[in-house]
Amino acid sequence: MQRMFMRRVGLALLLMLAATALTFWLVTAAPGNVAALIAERAAGAGADGEMIAKIADDLGLNDPLPLRYARWLGDALTGDFGISLRTGKPMAEEFGERIPMTLALLTGGGVLALVLSLAMGIAGAASNGGGIDRVLHGMALVGASTPNFFVAAMLVIVFSVWLGWVPTFGVSGLTSWLLPWITIALFPASVLARVVRVNLQDTMSRPFATTGFAKGLTRGAVLLREALPNIAIPYMTTFGAQFTLMIIGAIVVERVFGLNGVGAFFIEAIRFRDFIGMQATLTLFVVFFVSINLIVDLLAMLADPRLRRPRKA
Amino acid sequence: MLKLDRRSFLATTAGLSFLSVLPRVAFANGHADTLRVAISGETGDLDLLQNVSTLSSYSAVFDALIHYGPGGTLEPGLATAWTVAEDGLSISFDLREGVSFSDGTPFDATAAEWNLKRWMGVADFSWIGIADAYESIVIDAPNKITLKLKRPVPAALLELTIVRPVRFLSPSAAAGQPIGTGPWIVESYSSTETVLVRNDAYWGEKPTFARLELKVVPDELARANALRAGELDVIGGDWVAALSPRRAQALASEGMTIVAEPGTATTILGFSPNSPMMQDKAVRDAIFLGIDRTAVATVLFEGFADPTVDIFPATVPTAGSRTPVPARDIAAAQAALTAGGWAGDASGWTKDGATLEIAFLVSEESFPGSRRIAEMIQGMLMEVGVKTNIETVDNATMHDRRPKFDYDLTFFGTYGAPYDPHGSLGASFVTASDTGPDGKIYVHPDLDVLVATALETGGDAREGAMQAVYDWLRDNTAACPLVVTQRLWAVHPRVAGFTLPATDYDLPFKGITLG
Repeated sequence: MQRMFMRRVGLALLLMLAATALTFWLVTAAPGNVAALIAERAAGAGADGEMIAKIADDLGLNDPLPLRYARWLGDALTGDFGISLRTGKPMAEEFGERIPMTLALLTGGGVLALVLSLAMGIAGAASNGGGIDRVLHGMALVGASTPNFFVAAMLVIVFSVWLGWVPTFGVSGLTSWLLPWITIALFPASVLARVVRVNLQDTMSRPFATTGFAKGLTRGAVLLREALPNIAIPYMTTFGAQFTLMIIGAIVVERVFGLNGVGAFFIEAIRFRDFIGMQATLTLFVVFFVSINLIVDLLAMLADPRLRRPRKA
Repeated sequence: MLKLDRRSFLATTAGLSFLSVLPRVAFANGHADTLRVAISGETGDLDLLQNVSTLSSYSAVFDALIHYGPGGTLEPGLATAWTVAEDGLSISFDLREGVSFSDGTPFDATAAEWNLKRWMGVADFSWIGIADAYESIVIDAPNKITLKLKRPVPAALLELTIVRPVRFLSPSAAAGQPIGTGPWIVESYSSTETVLVRNDAYWGEKPTFARLELKVVPDELARANALRAGELDVIGGDWVAALSPRRAQALASEGMTIVAEPGTATTILGFSPNSPMMQDKAVRDAIFLGIDRTAVATVLFEGFADPTVDIFPATVPTAGSRTPVPARDIAAAQAALTAGGWAGDASGWTKDGATLEIAFLVSEESFPGSRRIAEMIQGMLMEVGVKTNIETVDNATMHDRRPKFDYDLTFFGTYGAPYDPHGSLGASFVTASDTGPDGKIYVHPDLDVLVATALETGGDAREGAMQAVYDWLRDNTAACPLVVTQRLWAVHPRVAGFTLPATDYDLPFKGITLG
């Protein structure tokens, strides 16, 4: 178990390394000149070729790409992700301000997706082809097919502009989180609801469920006591994947609701060609993505002994 | 099958009715003394020497010696009077007496000298004529200084009205502390909002309300919704939180007040001077004549733009004489091509074996809405027989290709007040200028001479020298001005007396009262 754990962690670290190298290469390959941007920030229209060349030299931008990556990685490992070209602040400081906002968004959205998906999936399975099942099926399809910027706009129009129940943007108490949480949770909740529904249907046809019915248990009791624990592994792995994908949703949701999180920063970094900000944020996304998947893998291994067995040829 | 009986239907209806009459959460209340203005990005620390903070927020906190008034008139700021020597080599300023920075530090000749020396004669600011020509500052009296220059700078007084670095910071301010003499004091700033409180010791007309909150809302639709919901009072301004013409029309129909005034910046179609196709004046003439500017202004800008063929609008000083906007003339455009040696008709043109085909570089990021304008122009030129290929690129690619003139046609904009006309002329029409990623609208050796003369000419001769530049540009069809977009704002009904400031780089708060 310990060896397997270490192996997974080692693979995750390798994956992070490869992903950061790839993003570093992609960001440096993008059109534009970091030195010119820094010069422009410092001197405005006064930035000239000589100044740009000096900055490029000072920053080692003329060095070979592997050397630049190694230097960047060394700094990043010590928490130094550079200074944002757009805001002029160290990226560590930017992250310190913005990560709590994004975490609050993802955590709230994740909890909502969890609750909604389980409720919808179980209710659908309990209805088993009835009206509720069909309505929930339709809702899940709509939820999984509607882009979150559209969902956000509709929610704001109805609940903020027409009804005036919640603010349209910013953070001003718990109510201001409702629309961002619903927006970001809708897609994963819809996908997960189908996962729950389909897996429950499959599990309900297994012999142990039939045995449960034979013992006189109700359909609800069989669903909750016998079938539900058996879908934990597929649900957990799908939830992990959906939760990591929520970071992509956060990019749109944070901008629409005026939340100063990492996603909103990333969009602005792209707009302003803030290469340092882009690279740092992409690295954060990579770490988040790989870490969540690692945690889910480890939890699945803990929950299911079959996953702990070494693979045999 | 889902069943809905009468009882369930009535219960659902009653529930929804109850919810709909719940009192609206009073987000708009409790702010009777606060004006809430949307900004698209955080203000930053308003460092006057760094090119980072949002340009539009400085005027609330910092004053300049001279303020830019409507139409480019010069109004007293921290200087009550000024005298330019006949030889143009010195300018004396009478400083306003009894003024203090918001930290209590007095504003006097010593404070003025300290501020001016932070950027005058400093290489980083050599793009400002007066900084480049700086020789010395002499304190004549506690409230009088004289600025000595190595050479005359005819636009010197206009340059002293720009946003940064010319405004005045308290010499006692610690690093990162934005302390000025302006009508507002920064109480706090973050990445979500900047809160300003009224400077009750302000020397000028004090705002009628106590707080000004600048709310960061990057998304335009979110800003419009916040205005509808009463969470914001004012949105708009190209350099504050741009409002699109279409959105403005929608808001107008919902009871918001739309304020639209003639703009100070021109949207121009630039011809690459390096492109063999664009070096042919006949092609430039055909494009110039083949575009219906009125249609562009009416259809794409919903009427919130004014068609033009002049480089600068009349809202900036020494913008030159006005040229009537010609009606679109396909026959004249085709005749220009024929006169230029091209053969063909509406189906296409050839000359010396080459087909008339133009690369039109467009970036929605650099210039929102440009794709739609480009498509409209593409259709208009197709009727002339000029084939255009629209190439949509991202901001970075645009910034990479524009300085290299790596296009046939692309969009440009003039800087607008208070930077024009000297700013755009000196940067966008001069071969030797370094405009970095912004590129240049048109350059030519003959134009270099004319622009240099115009920028160096002062006094009564200046207008004529400027006109010579405009005439050359027009006679050579060196650029294709399209429209002057109007300055567009949307205001919540609780705001009264909304008046636009003189430039797009200033925040609107003067004259406003809150209901």
